[in-house]
Amino acid sequence: MNINVLFFGATADITGQRRVEVAIAPETTASEVSQNIIAEYPRLASHKIHISLNQQFASGDEIVRDGDELAIFTAVSGG
Amino acid sequence: MDFFELTSNPIDIARVSRRVVPSECGATVTLDGYARKYTKDKASGEIRETEYLEYEAYEAMALKEMQKLIDAAKQQFEIANVGIVHRIGRLDIGETSVVISVAAPHRKPAFAACEWLIRELKRTVPIWKKEVYSDGEKWIEGDAETPEDVTK
Repeated sequence: MNINVLFFGATADITGQRRVEVAIAPETTASEVSQNIIAEYPRLASHKIHISLNQQFASGDEIVRDGDELAIFTAVSGG
Repeated sequence: MDFFELTSNPIDIARVSRRVVPSECGATVTLDGYARKYTKDKASGEIRETEYLEYEAYEAMALKEMQKLIDAAKQQFEIANVGIVHRIGRLDIGETSVVISVAAPHRKPAFAACEWLIRELKRTVPIWKKEVYSDGEKWIEGDAETPEDVTK
């Protein structure tokens, strides 16, 4: 199973990418995906990280499914 | 008519403001948010001088969140129509970054709804601001009462 992981702003700068396809095991949660990414890019750990799953804010407990879109970003700062 | 948009072009505030007006309304409150040159750093108290801003959006999700905000505002306040336009890309100092127009039969709910909408937009709509200085740049992180923090 593969999901798309998106990065914006600070997280795009830190990871050097905006979109990456990630292979996941069945029953993986959204927060497990983000923790793996944070482990891969330790500079993310100094930021407060938020995630969304399929364009909705996620608590992290959600099970991700094939083709899902998960985004990893810092606290929003529009306006 | 309600509307919500992201644009990389300058925003015509008057046009946004008039687009929300139906015949049963008597007042429109419009917020014109624009790029500030001097910002006091919350942590250090130091004044930073910004040369220009860059906004980036998670566009598909930002539009969904804007729609949700408008729906929620219309449930809570006695208002008729809401228009929200947010600029993305590079903005010079003084250029409008966001316009929120709220039309209502009477002014008080329009003021209250406009204040509520900008507060919620800054908390929930996935848009990020980068301040660019003469000697560097910084992505601004919001006050982070934002929905959920999965790392804590």
